Amino acid sequence: RYVRQLQRLQLLFSPTASDARGARQFVEEVAQDFARQHPDVVLYVSPHSGPGPAPVLRAEYLNGTVREEVIASKTSEEIMQLAIKLANQSGLDIIRIRKPFHTDNPSVQGQWHPLTNKPSILTVQGPRLQPQ
Amino acid sequence: VAKTSLTSPPWPEVKLPDPVEEAKYHAEVVRKVNGLISAGHYGRLFAVVHFASKQWKITSEDLIMMDNVLEAECGDRIRMEKVLLVGADDFTLVGRPLLGKELVRVEATVIEKTESWPKVNVRFWRRHNLQRKKIIANPQTVLRINTIEIYPCLS
Repeated sequence: RYVRQLQRLQLLFSPTASDARGARQFVEEVAQDFARQHPDVVLYVSPHSGPGPAPVLRAEYLNGTVREEVIASKTSEEIMQLAIKLANQSGLDIIRIRKPFHTDNPSVQGQWHPLTNKPSILTVQGPRLQPQ
Repeated sequence: VAKTSLTSPPWPEVKLPDPVEEAKYHAEVVRKVNGLISAGHYGRLFAVVHFASKQWKITSEDLIMMDNVLEAECGDRIRMEKVLLVGADDFTLVGRPLLGKELVRVEATVIEKTESWPKVNVRFWRRHNLQRKKIIANPQTVLRINTIEIYPCLS
């Protein structure tokens, strides 16, 4: 039961710009293979004509985070690697995580406190305490 | 011979029980634990697993992150061998150092393969005109432990 966290991948580029050559090659050759290998990812290709903004690969995740990667002057293999990396990610922020593990039930046999594994105070025989 | 302070060692003398009695006691304990396992009288199981050069204490449905790349794709089920310890509410099974594969089964799924946050690696040497800056982002994998199962085949 594995659900991929990537909702959709949008490829925005303009077919006339010179630095979007890699994006154009990616769309022509590799995009079909990528879509077939990842059947649960939707890939939208939207070319905007004219000298517009830089070509961008936008990834939207199930928790609403949108991640944009600039693909200007990158070869189609690099864009493929980027797309695979984005597809394998989840939408959590990439910040420093303090612990590499997370449990909901940290203790099974009861959490240790300094009084576990110590004999009970009722059986202590000292100079003052005498069992009556 | 007179008893001095050095005739007997300073630690209290421990008398070991009879080997025959001990074997009987061991067999009874093993039988009881086997009965408990086969009847299913355990709640949550936890295990100590050696994975990616680290030892983790894991229960079911918890997340683990490694700082490396696994050769499994996202959504693959992985069976972890190298289990050192398995425990439940009433009993624990300790391996020396590992437990058998037919005893325990730990399954996990690869959830995501991301990169870490971009760490900055700066080398600076004063008065020597040395300044290097490098941004490092390690690949990481996140696993979720699905199940830990034990089978009653002790001996």
